[in-house]
Amino acid sequence: MTQATEADDRAQYLSFSLAGGEYGVGILKVKEILQYETVTRVPSTPRSVRGVINLRGQVVAVVDLAAKFGLPETEVSRLTCILIVEARLDGQDTVVGVMADAVQEVIELGPADVEPAPPFGTAVKVDFLLGMGKVGKRFVLLLDLDRVISADEKEFARDAATGALEAALEAAPEAPAGDAVEAA
Amino acid sequence: MDELGIDRELLVQTFLAEAEETFGRMEQALVALEARPGDEAILHALFRDAHTVKGGAALVGFDGVRELAHDLEDVLERLRGRSLGVTDALVTLLLRSVDVLRGSVAAAAAGAREEPAAALAFRRRLAAAAQAAGSAPGAGEPGASSSPAGGHAGPGDAYEPAGPAHASARTLRVDVTKLDRMLDLSGEIAIARGRLTDLLEQRAGAGAEQLLEAHREADRLYQDLQELITKARMVPIGPTFHPHARTVRDAAAALGKRARLVVEGEDVEVDTAVIEHIRDPLTHMVRNALDHGIEPPDVRRARGKAPIGTVVLRAFHEAGSMVIQVSDDGAGLDRARIAARAVAQGLAPDAARVTDEEAGRLVFEPGFSTADAVTELSGRGVGMDVVRRNVEALRGSVAIRSVPGAGTEITIRVPLTLAIIQGFKVGVAAETFILPLDAVVECLELPTEECAASAPCGILNVRGAPLPYLRLRDHFGLGGARPGRENVVVVRHGAHTAGVTVDALHGESSTVVKPLGRMFGGVPGISGSSILGNGRVALILDVGGLLRETLRRAATAEANAA
Repeated sequence: MTQATEADDRAQYLSFSLAGGEYGVGILKVKEILQYETVTRVPSTPRSVRGVINLRGQVVAVVDLAAKFGLPETEVSRLTCILIVEARLDGQDTVVGVMADAVQEVIELGPADVEPAPPFGTAVKVDFLLGMGKVGKRFVLLLDLDRVISADEKEFARDAATGALEAALEAAPEAPAGDAVEAA
Repeated sequence: MDELGIDRELLVQTFLAEAEETFGRMEQALVALEARPGDEAILHALFRDAHTVKGGAALVGFDGVRELAHDLEDVLERLRGRSLGVTDALVTLLLRSVDVLRGSVAAAAAGAREEPAAALAFRRRLAAAAQAAGSAPGAGEPGASSSPAGGHAGPGDAYEPAGPAHASARTLRVDVTKLDRMLDLSGEIAIARGRLTDLLEQRAGAGAEQLLEAHREADRLYQDLQELITKARMVPIGPTFHPHARTVRDAAAALGKRARLVVEGEDVEVDTAVIEHIRDPLTHMVRNALDHGIEPPDVRRARGKAPIGTVVLRAFHEAGSMVIQVSDDGAGLDRARIAARAVAQGLAPDAARVTDEEAGRLVFEPGFSTADAVTELSGRGVGMDVVRRNVEALRGSVAIRSVPGAGTEITIRVPLTLAIIQGFKVGVAAETFILPLDAVVECLELPTEECAASAPCGILNVRGAPLPYLRLRDHFGLGGARPGRENVVVVRHGAHTAGVTVDALHGESSTVVKPLGRMFGGVPGISGSSILGNGRVALILDVGGLLRETLRRAATAEANAA
């Protein structure tokens, strides 16, 4: 983990698979990785909030990103994990659990390896991405966790309902590529 | 940080906390001074406090505050030198100066460079008072600007106001010996844990009995530590009670009445969170006692009572709760007036049929007020309602007892700590929920004919009385198949009762309450969470929220049936 700071511009990401896609989050955001355990459901909460778990005496919310992105809810398997991450919610650092189908690896990316996300074609809206990381021939979607966690489910729903392409075409004129680079 | 490496932020924070504590102490001392004008010790204590504020303000660079404190010192110096007598007017002025100081500190902390205009004007008044003192008895040095020899503490240190553990919203002062004991315990826990690890590693050698013993040893230490931490959160109630000496004085003065405050049980310890929540209700009740309870001196004389009324703030422990009583020796509740007002406000149908007990209940109704005119002190009809709500938020209760002509006594019962409650565990589908035990009235088996009904809620016949009930499974949309036999937990909230239908009853246990966290901004029907023995999280049900929903549904169901 300390390597990330000593390397000049290179940053480390933890990659994980979710609903058929591969995603990455900045490794400094990840506090620990837990094997999936039974989550206590909380009634009257959005579908994307899976429930709460006991993290050594602290009650921590678990978020299902697949449900948040408008995809079917994550099925629990032997490999399912909970990433305990720190995200900013309403200006305060909050510990949140994020479900993953499986944790892949730690990848190190330099500025040259991170491309701005294209305006369409990805499962997640471009606003919630830091960029696309190139790992060999694969692309890893680098998530902007703070924005993903604090965003409402509805903000993702539009993509799911109308199709990513249509939404992207709508969004394209107002969000040219230059902005995306800046955001990344 | 500046060039000296001093963190000014930290200094300011410390100063702010200390200043607030000092101001509270000064108010107490001033009220005491009024009662015992010749008490040197009080004067010395006051002077020391003013000097402390001055020094602190100079250190953090709050010049306005420093100068104001300096002027205050001048007046106090004259009092000490007997060139000025203690009068009611002067005490009022000095109390006012504490208010102005408080305002200036707040303004300076908020970053104001200039002294507030009000503070400047006030300083002139203060200087005039000191001046007048200088010329009247003709004994003091000329002019008000003579600065007293700073830095010396008065001799005869008899007056030591209580208030070592002042609790503010964010910080808590803990006795260092308590912390040392915690450190010792955590050290012992580390050793016990190491021993347990050793035993587990060489499992072949260690018998099950040995392991269990090692575990019990560690367990005992954990419990000791938990108890110690809970205790560290407990602070004496005295510092919360004492400021009301001033509330009583000011309110009495404003109403043309005379009253004094008596504090009993100031050493009773209670959780800091409880203290924060009862502060406002206390103020409301003390003001009410003066406004509605204590009579003007001539009326009191005519009734054969002492002209000076007494308001008592009392705290004591009783069966796992803390009891706070606010009593006065005033007129008592005026049943006829309460009844008339209740009828006028549509809260009661017939004035003649309002009993004493009902009158006691009516004063807690939202919006109820008997005051004919809205005064600064009371009469807006929000006071007692706020008291009840704040106390209920603490899972406490309020009761009122009144004897016409002899006085009123309000009794508040609050749990000692908010961190642990007695819970009643119930199971629905795969989930476990916890109901606060004090809300549970009884448990029943759901009659078979009701089991067959598939509606999410309904009405039960309990010993001839109708009882609306809801199925927790349907209420929360938990899914899963219903078991053959269901149970009903009858819960109460205020005057209402209702049934909550669950699959299984798991019995009662002590429950450590944990907040649900920021991801959940107030889930209806859920008040918090707790961790079960198996490490899973269970949700604590908010009976009030659930019942509001039940009553609403019951009403809809009745409307549909009609």
